[in-house]
This record gives sequence, C-alpha cells and structure tokens, in this order.
Amino acid sequence: MDLVLQLFVNGVINGSHYALLGVGFGIIFGPTKITHFAYGPIFAIGAYGCWATATMLGLPVAAAAVCGVLAAVLAGVLSYLWLYRPFERRGSSHLVVLIASLGLFITLENLIGILFGTDTKVIPDISPGIFLWGPVVVTSIQLWQVAALAIVALLLFAFLRWARHGKALMAMTDNGEMAQIIGIDTVRVSLIAFAVGSAVAAVPAILILLKEGATPHMGFIAVFMAFVAVIVGGIGSFKGAIIGGYAVGIVENLGMWKLPTEWQSTIAFVVLFLILLFRPSGLFGRRLR
Amino acid sequence: MTRLSILATAAMIALAGTAGAQEPPKDPPVIKIGAIFAMSGQASWYGQVMSQGMRQAVDEINAKGGVDGIKLEAVIEDHKGAGGAEGVAAINRLMSIHGTKIVLTSFTGPTLGIAPIADQNNIFLINGGGVGVKMVGASKYIVHNRSLSSDLALGALQVAQNMGLKKMGQLHWKNDVGDYIVSSVEPVWKKGGGSIVATEAVPQGATNMDTQVAKIRAASPDVIGMWMFTPEVGLAIKRVREFGMKQPVIGVEFTANDAKVAGATAEGFLYINDYFKPSDDQPWSKQFAADYEKRWGKAPEFYAANYYEGVYLAAELVKRSRKKGGDYINGERLKAALYENPKVDSVYGGQMTFQPNGVAQKRVALFKVKDGKGEFQEFVQIK
Repeated sequence: MDLVLQLFVNGVINGSHYALLGVGFGIIFGPTKITHFAYGPIFAIGAYGCWATATMLGLPVAAAAVCGVLAAVLAGVLSYLWLYRPFERRGSSHLVVLIASLGLFITLENLIGILFGTDTKVIPDISPGIFLWGPVVVTSIQLWQVAALAIVALLLFAFLRWARHGKALMAMTDNGEMAQIIGIDTVRVSLIAFAVGSAVAAVPAILILLKEGATPHMGFIAVFMAFVAVIVGGIGSFKGAIIGGYAVGIVENLGMWKLPTEWQSTIAFVVLFLILLFRPSGLFGRRLR
Repeated sequence: MTRLSILATAAMIALAGTAGAQEPPKDPPVIKIGAIFAMSGQASWYGQVMSQGMRQAVDEINAKGGVDGIKLEAVIEDHKGAGGAEGVAAINRLMSIHGTKIVLTSFTGPTLGIAPIADQNNIFLINGGGVGVKMVGASKYIVHNRSLSSDLALGALQVAQNMGLKKMGQLHWKNDVGDYIVSSVEPVWKKGGGSIVATEAVPQGATNMDTQVAKIRAASPDVIGMWMFTPEVGLAIKRVREFGMKQPVIGVEFTANDAKVAGATAEGFLYINDYFKPSDDQPWSKQFAADYEKRWGKAPEFYAANYYEGVYLAAELVKRSRKKGGDYINGERLKAALYENPKVDSVYGGQMTFQPNGVAQKRVALFKVKDGKGEFQEFVQIK
C-alpha cells in the first residue's frame, strides 16, 4: 500500500509536469493549428536561459528563471516570425509546416549543443528540501512542479477569460476563419500564442533544470508528452490538456505497481492509442464529424 | 659454363624470392583513421569526449612526423548513439568515401552492426568505449582497450559480497548492455548466497526514474547495484538519496558529468572501473592530462584516454606491420602485428596486454566518491 501511495504521488507530480507541457503546446496549437515540434528545443532554451544567467552572470535563481522564460518567449516568437509565418503567407500545407518544424527542432537542438556543450548543465548548490509524509517522499522541487501548474493555470484562466487578447486567442482557437472575418488580427494573436505558450513551456523546463539538470536533448520527451497530453485531453481544450497530462502521469506510474518498469515508456503510447481508437477527439475535445 | 649458369639462375631465384618477402610497403599518402562515435543525440557527451581524445593523439603523432613519416588523419562519423543501422551507414561512408581500414568504434549496438562489414572488408576495429560482452569476438579484427561492463559488474559484486551484503536491488539500463549485466550478475550473486529483491529498468536517456526508485525502496535492499552509465548514474544516485535510501550503492561508472548531476548526494558512491589516474609516476598519463586540459578546458575522462590510446595503438601496429612491407594497413595484418607482441604502452601507465579474445587487460579498481571525485580504494582482481 505504501508503494501504491508513493506511485500515486509520483503520478500526480509527473502529471503536473505533463499538464504544464500540454497547456503550453495547446495554447500554440489551438489558435495557430501549427504542430510546433520545435516546442521541444524551445522548452530546452528556457532551461538553458536560466542556467546561463544563473551560472555565467551569477543572477539569483528567481531572476535567472525570469531570464529563462524571456529567452523561451523570444525563441518562440522568432520561430513564428522567421519560420512559420512565411509558410503561412505562401499558403503552405500543414505537412510542409510540420516538416519545417521538425527541421527547426533538429537545428535548435544541435545549436544548443554547439553553443553550450553536450554535458548536463546544473545550477550548483541547489539542494531541494526533502519531505517525508509517512511512507511518501517528495522534494521541494516536486512540490513546485505541482504548484507551478496551479499558478500558471489560474493566470491563464484569467488571461483567457478577461484579457482582450486572451479572448481573441480563444476565438481563434474556436474558429480561425471566423475570427479573421470579425476583425481579429490573427497574426498578432498567433504571435501572442507563441509568446504565451513558450513562456509556459519554460516553467517546467526550469524546474527540470533544478531537479535533474539540462541537456540539449531534454526537449524531445517534453514535446512528445505535451503532444500526448493535448491529444488525450482534447485539442483546443486547456482543461483537457491538464486532465490529459494528469491521466498520462498517473496511469504511467500506478500502472507500474504490478507491471515491470521496463513497460513504463510504453504506457503513454498505449493511452494515446486507446484514446485515438475510442475517442479520437480526446477527453474534452469537440467531436469530429 | 653450365655450372655458372646454374649458379646464376639460383642466385636470380634467390634474389627474386628475397624481393618477394621484402616487397616494399605500399604507403598511402595519408593514413586515415576512422571513428564512429555518438556525435549527436542523447549520448553526444560520449562522442565529444571520445573525439577530443582521438584528435589530440592524431595531432600529437603528426607533430612528431607521423608514422614513419606518413601523417594521420582523423575521420569521424556519427552513429547518434543509436543501434546497428546508424553504425552500418557510418562505416559504409568511411569505406566508400575515405577507404579507411582502421576504425575506432564505440557503443555496443553500432559495433555489433559494423562487425560483419569489418570482417568482409578486412577492417581493423578498436573499441575503447562499448562495454557489451557480445562485442567480444564479434569480428575477427576487433580489439578492446576498455574493460567490459559485465566484468566490472562482477567486480562490484565481489566488493558487495565482501561487505557482507545479501539483498540486492538492481537499477539498470533497459538496453543490451544493462540487460547483459543483469543476466551476468544474477547467477553469481545468488550462488554467493545473495538474493535479488528488485530489478528495475530505465530506458537509456531517461530522466525521470522516480517509479523505479520507489519500487526499489519498497523492496528494502541491503545494497543497490547500479548497472548504467553517464549521465543516468548521477541522476539515479541523486534520486536514490532523495528518496531517503541510505544503503550502499555500487556501480560500474562515475564521470565528472555524473558528479555534476548528483552533487553532494554522490558522496560514498562505490564504483569499479579501469584505473586511469594521471600521476607523477606515470609521465605519459600526466602529460596527456595536462595537454588535454590545456586544449579542451577540462580534465580528461577515461573515455578520452581510451580513444587517445586507441590512436597510439593503431600507430604502433601500423609501424610494426609496415616493416613487413606490402599492403600493410588492413585488419589481418594489424591483428597479426598486435599478437606478435600483445603488450602495448598504455596511457593509463605501464603496458596493457591484449588477451587472445581481443580484450586488453588493464588495472581495475574500486573507487569511492569523495568531494565529487572518485577516490581510489583498492585494486580488484575480478574472478
């Protein structure tokens, strides 16, 4: 029973991480319909931005974290302006944009490796607090992973519900063409989507930097799990991305209670396949006709 | 006249025979040494370290005039840390574009992929990094200047047994290397009266291993065997300690990269590894380490030392083979040159001796991490 409890807590923590990734990915994908695989290395840029300013400039971690978020925002916005927007102007197909995104993924990932080296980057002298709750162990960084989702979700909720650009983003997510017809500047909203989505991605990235360290390839699993969370939760639904992230995180951990752990990386795929098979629109997505 | 003509004919035959045996060496304009490393992908740290060691050796040898006046050239291909297919593509490029007959190889999967190609094309392979035991004898022409993982793990078991530990939990890479270590150590550990209470697998490159560590913790082992390699070692130690586990943890590798990731939690980690430690009584090691640090800005890992040494090994064998003339740079000739005298200078100090199975015998030692660095404890004779 102790193990089940620990696995459940691990699942909630991982689920919070996946949910944050899914929300960031969904904010970009929802209005722009761009399958932004380069979200992975932009996630990594968030972590490297924090690491570089903390270790090279000696900034406190909190200030460095802000720099990490800004670095990710800049990279996200530039990726839209320099890569996706020209394709949009030419009316390129989704497939072409998808391939361009994969190209950007590889380019950015290698660029990080060339600029910073391929070894693991850590911020020295960060030792997380360890809490023992009966049989369950958690660290302060894991608690931050859960708290970060709550804080980001609340801020996003407020932004999407009450801010003018937030409402425009939701309108574009709902129907891009209609949003354009009623006068919404869809290019500006796309830019905002890339900025906000990249900022959200930087938050879990910085927490991973503090927890495990950063590597140039850390974005691969991040974009994959973000994608799974969005598909499981339902495209276009931020609530769905959160529920999807938790579903994958908890199933992935609790499923290992009796199964050998070598099956763990398969679980996310199984969940994805089952959802695609029985509910292609995801748990909270609109039904496809 | 008849006698004279017979003598003349005999002399000509003798001369011709001598000329055949002393066929001049077919010197290439440059000796290309190929390498297949993980230059990109999740394991690119290895490729960076290995290629730095290799490049340093090539430049050093060239600065001294090359091998009998012939310069060396390093040609590095990328297997991306992936399986055999990437290795095969890499060796095909080395053969077709560069005509390389000497290849430094790394990682078990790619090496197993290229082994039959090396056999067919008479290519000499030197492995300084891969640790999978399946590589032994995979090619007629492969040699290893790196101790194999299963041997190191058996050394780790000896240490754990000597400490009187009985219940072992294992955390291992889910790949051929990790699986092979598990299959090698389990019977030995059980035969010694021990039991395995948990065996948990993590994919190579995994960063989240909380589930695995939770399951090991729930099994309450006396000792944790960590059958994985950098940077997962550092991360695994960190998570084990953060989960409040105080048991001895013993493994088969610990690098500066792991030290960074694990931080203070690495204190007390035990590991068995090749004994590479530059010191005053080992001038070549010391010089190599000083030059490496000057050039690359970091102290050399033993992987860098192995590939540095691999180039020197290749140069020595080429020199030996060249003395016999003819087409002297190929797997058959270089292997024969090695076994003329299987003792070769080692940058680890002294000489390494290549066994008939192609694996060099090097000194293996137990280390304990103190202040983020492996501190020598004792030499281990693996039984």
